[in-house]
Amino acid sequence: MRIKRELWFGFSLMAVILAATAIFMPWTNMTNGHLGLLMLSLVVVAIMLGFPTAFTLMGMGMLFAWFAFDFNTARTLDLMVQRAYGVMTNDVLISIPLFVFMGYLVERANLISKLFRSLELSLARLPGALAVATLVTCAIFATATGIVGAVVTLMGLLAFPAMLKSGYDVRLSAGAITAGGCLGILIPPSVMLIVYGATAGVSVVQLYAGAFFPGLMLAGLYILYVIIVAKLKPHLAPPLPMEERHVELPAEAKVLNDRLSHRALPALARAIGGKIPGVGRGYALREMALTLLPALALLAMLAGTWHLATRPAPVDDVQGLVAMGEQLGESAESAGGLAEPPSDEDAKEAAAEGLKEPPGAAPAASMTSAAGEPGPSDAAAPATAERSQTPDWFFGVALGALIGVAIFYTLLSFVRLEIFKMLLSSFFPLAIMILAVLGSIVFGLATPTEAAAVGALGGFILAAAYRQLTLNVVKESVFLTAKTSAMVCWLFVGSSIFSAAFALLGGQALVEQWVLSMDLTPLQFMLLAQAIIFILGWPLEWTEIIVIFMPIFIPLLAHFNIDPLFFGLLVALNLQTAFLSPPVAMAAFYLKGVSPPHVTLNQIFAGMMPFMGIQVFALFLLYMFPAIGLWLPQVLYK
Amino acid sequence: MQKILLTVDKVSTWVGQVCAWTIVALTALISWEVFSRYVLNKPHSWVLDGQIMLYGILFMMAGAYTLSKNAHVRGDVLYGFFTPRVQATLDLVLYFVFFLPGIVALTYAGWIFADEALVIREQTNSAEPLPLYPFKFIIPAAGFFLLLQGIVEIVRCVICIRQGAWPSRGEDVEEVDVDKLKAMVHVKDEDIAALDKYVVAQEEAHAAPAGGQAK
Repeated sequence: MRIKRELWFGFSLMAVILAATAIFMPWTNMTNGHLGLLMLSLVVVAIMLGFPTAFTLMGMGMLFAWFAFDFNTARTLDLMVQRAYGVMTNDVLISIPLFVFMGYLVERANLISKLFRSLELSLARLPGALAVATLVTCAIFATATGIVGAVVTLMGLLAFPAMLKSGYDVRLSAGAITAGGCLGILIPPSVMLIVYGATAGVSVVQLYAGAFFPGLMLAGLYILYVIIVAKLKPHLAPPLPMEERHVELPAEAKVLNDRLSHRALPALARAIGGKIPGVGRGYALREMALTLLPALALLAMLAGTWHLATRPAPVDDVQGLVAMGEQLGESAESAGGLAEPPSDEDAKEAAAEGLKEPPGAAPAASMTSAAGEPGPSDAAAPATAERSQTPDWFFGVALGALIGVAIFYTLLSFVRLEIFKMLLSSFFPLAIMILAVLGSIVFGLATPTEAAAVGALGGFILAAAYRQLTLNVVKESVFLTAKTSAMVCWLFVGSSIFSAAFALLGGQALVEQWVLSMDLTPLQFMLLAQAIIFILGWPLEWTEIIVIFMPIFIPLLAHFNIDPLFFGLLVALNLQTAFLSPPVAMAAFYLKGVSPPHVTLNQIFAGMMPFMGIQVFALFLLYMFPAIGLWLPQVLYK
Repeated sequence: MQKILLTVDKVSTWVGQVCAWTIVALTALISWEVFSRYVLNKPHSWVLDGQIMLYGILFMMAGAYTLSKNAHVRGDVLYGFFTPRVQATLDLVLYFVFFLPGIVALTYAGWIFADEALVIREQTNSAEPLPLYPFKFIIPAAGFFLLLQGIVEIVRCVICIRQGAWPSRGEDVEEVDVDKLKAMVHVKDEDIAALDKYVVAQEEAHAAPAGGQAK
C-alpha cells in the first residue's frame, strides 16, 4: 500500500512537469531556446527515472549540443572533452576529495560515543539535556565528517536508546537526531559550499566565512527549540535521572574528594604540598596541570588581546592586521608566510590572523573588537612606535575574565574535573581541528585546498591518537573517498557538458528574457527562486540541484542586484530542508534502519517537521537580516 | 556469465582502488608543500600542477569502480520503489540512450585530445614544467574502463529482466555499513530490540489520553 503511494507522488510530479512543458512549449514555432527549456524539463524527468545522474546529464547534454552545433560532430566532441578536462583541472573541486578523506578518517577515529557521553554529562542540568547533547554532538561530528548517513546511524545507535530509556518522546528524539545529523551539510567546512562555489564562481573562502554564523544560528535555534519544549512539556523530555549523571571518580581523586574538599583546585594544591596517603605527588601534579589549563588558556588570550589592543598604530587597516598576525605568530605556521597570500586568493584575505588565535569563548568578542578598531590611520607610523595606552575596555574584559575564572574554580569539583577531562579528549580535539581548518581558510592563511590537506593529515593524527589507525582503516577511507569523489566529480563532468549545451541552445537567454518580462521585484524573484529550489529538493538531491539549476539562477542575480554570496547562503540553508522533507528524506531512513521495530517512519517524519519549520524560520531570519551571513565576510574581505 | 561479469568488476575495482591511493599522495604532497612554503619559505611551482593531476587521476579513474559498485548518485524518488524488472528495463533503455553515446564520444574525443598533446609533448605552463600529455590520456583511459563496466551493467540488466532479480555484485566497503557502525559503538541487535518496550509503552500512554479526548 505504502509503495503505491510513494510511486504516486513521484509520478504525479513527473506528470506535472511533462504537462507544463507540453502546454507552455510553443510547438508550432520552436526556437533553439525553447529546445533548451525542453531539454531542462526532460532532464528532470529523466533523473527521476533513476538512471545515474552523471550519465543522464552527459548523454542528454551531448545530444542537445549536437543539435545546437547543427549536427557538427567534431565540435560536439571537442566541447565534451574540453568540459571534462575543465573539471579535471578545476582548482576549487580539488578540495572535495581532501575534505571527504578527512571526514572518513575522523569518523573512524571513533570518538563519537565519548563525545556524546561527555556532552551529556556536562549539559545534564539543562532541560532536555539529552536532546541538547545530541544536537551538539551531531553539529560537531557532522561538521568534522560531513557524512549524514554515518552520523545519523551512529547517533541512532547511541543517543536514541539513551533518550528512549529516559522517557523522551519518540518524535522529539528522532527529530533531534535527524536534524542534527544534517547540520554538517551547512556548517563549513562542508562539501556543499565547495560545490556551490565551483558552480557559481563564488569564492569558497567567502562562502565559508558567510555560512559560519547561519550554521551556528540554525544549530542554536534547534537547541533553543528543544529546551523550550522540554521546559513547557516536561513529559516529552524528562530530566536526566540521577544515576545517569553519576561519574565514577578515579581512586586517588576519590580520596581527595572525601578527605579534603570537593573543590579540585585547593584539594590538589594541598595534595602537592603535603603528603596525603593514597595520593601520589605525580598524580596530583598532573591533575593540577590539567586543572590550570583553562586558566592558562584564558591568560594567553588576554595577553594576546592586550598585545593587539596596544600595539603601535597600524599603517592602514589591512596591512596593519597582517603585521599583527606576523608579530603575534610565535607559531611556526605564520613565521614565513603571510607575506605571500597563497595562489589565486585575493591578497586582502591575508587579514587578521590574530582573530583566529584561540578557540575561546568570551574573549573572542573582545579580540574581534580589538582587531576591528584600527588605530588612527597614519601612513608614517614608525615601526618602533611606543605601545599605545591600554584601552579602558581591556580592564573590563580582564576583570570579567578574572571573575569567570574565580567562578569556574569555585564550581570545579572533582566530578566536574572528570567531565572536563572527558571533554578534553573528545570535544576539544574535534573543535580545535575544525576551527583550525576553518580559521586558516577564512582568515586567508591558507587556501581551502591547503587547509583541507592539512585537515586530512589532522584526521590521520586524530585516528592515530585514538589508536584506530590501522592499514584497514586507511584503506577503507581511501576507497570510500575515491567513490564519493568520483560520484560528485563525474556529476560535474555531466552537468558541465549539459549546461554548455543549455547555454548554446540559448535556453539561458530565454529564461532571462522570460524572468525579466515578469517584472519581478528582487524580493519576489528571491522568493520564487527559493520556492523553486525548495520544491526541487523533493525529487532531486542537493548535488543535482546545485550543478543543474545554479548555472541558470546565477546569471539572473545581477539583474536584481543580489549578491551571489548571499544567494548561496540562502540556497545552502534552503537545501537543508531537502534532507528533512518526506518522503525522500535520507536521514529518516538511516534512523529507521537502527531503530527498534515499533518506531515507524511516520513517527520519524512527524519528529522532523518542527525542525523543518525551524529551517524555514532560519531562512526567513537570514533573509531579513543578511548581516547574519554577510557580516563576517564583509569585515574580513572588504 | 556471472563469472565474466565479476571479473570485469574486479578489474574496474582494482584500477579504481589503485588510483584511489593518490588521495594519500595528495594529502602528503600538499601538506609538505604547506610546510615548505610557509615554514621553509620555499614554494614549488610544480606542486600546483602536480596536485591537480593527482586529483584528476583520483576521480576519473574511480568512475568505473564507482559504477561497478552501483554508487553513482541516482534520482531516488521512484527508482527505489520499482520492482527489479522495471528498474532493469529502464536502466537498459537509458544505458543505450544516454550512457553509451556519451561515454563512447568522450573516450573517442579524449583519445584525439590526448594524442594531440602527445605529438607536441605538451608540458604544463609553469616555471618548473611537468609533462602534461600523460595526464590527458586519463580521459580516454577512464572512458575505456567506464565503457567496459557499462557493458557489464547492460548484461546485468538483461539478466535481471530475465530472472526478475539483480545478479549479485562483489563486496566492497560501504559508506554507511550499519553492522560495522554497530560494532564500533558496541551496540547489539538485542539492545535495540530491548528498547521496543519503551516505544510501546509510550504509544499506549499516547493512545489512552487521545481516546479520552475523543469521548
